[in-house]
Amino acid sequence: MSSTFSTNSPAYITVLYFAAASTTLGISEELISIPSDGFYLFQLTDLLIERHSLSDGDTLRKVLDSSQWSVNAEMVDDEDLTKVELKDGMEVAVICPVSGG
Amino acid sequence: MLPPGSSVEGCLELPGASCSLSNRLDSLESIIKQVSNDRFGAIATFIGTTRNSFQGKVVTKLEYQAYTKLALKTIGNIIIDARSHNPDFQAVVQHRIGVVGVGEPSIVISVSSPHRKEAFHTCEFILEEVKRKAQIWKREYYEGEDESQAEWKSNV
Repeated sequence: MSSTFSTNSPAYITVLYFAAASTTLGISEELISIPSDGFYLFQLTDLLIERHSLSDGDTLRKVLDSSQWSVNAEMVDDEDLTKVELKDGMEVAVICPVSGG
Repeated sequence: MLPPGSSVEGCLELPGASCSLSNRLDSLESIIKQVSNDRFGAIATFIGTTRNSFQGKVVTKLEYQAYTKLALKTIGNIIIDARSHNPDFQAVVQHRIGVVGVGEPSIVISVSSPHRKEAFHTCEFILEEVKRKAQIWKREYYEGEDESQAEWKSNV
């Protein structure tokens, strides 16, 4: 007898903000609810903008458009944003242009 | 605003190299001792220090944040890349996070190698790659400006 688990259980990712992204939003991390299936990294920008639209949507869009992304502490190339599917438990970080050294 | 919870102190050890993020730096003497090796005839050490002005504005302090776990991974990979150009070296890379005063060292990279040419090149390579890729951010605070307006810099 086979059984399949429901794919309707809620999925959550942690989004980390640093530097300008963090200053813009006033937070450095948040737990975001995402669809449990078929939600890709390239869709996250719009979701975050909508989530923060009442306060800092425009500034946040500028920051996100100039930033890269990491998923589970691995950088994602810009051309792969449409290929990385976000799943429950992942840690996604907004990586603004860096200024170390 | 508190620094991000992920901007923590941390260190990464790999064969022949040690990298760390911390508000403090080891003493230069200690760093040099860490890279010293009787087989090696050269130690090249770079110290980055914070400047007191930017485009005519007086800098009062700096603040560094890092996505530590990824920044350390990135620096570790830079060391591994450096070995493809120069297989025989030891390195210590230390970057400060948190508040750093003007005129203070913010990064130290020390590389030892059998000969000076490779030591200089590897040290410079690591520095340029850290500036290009490491997930570390610098914020400069200027005299006469509200702290909330302090800019996060970009290396590009």
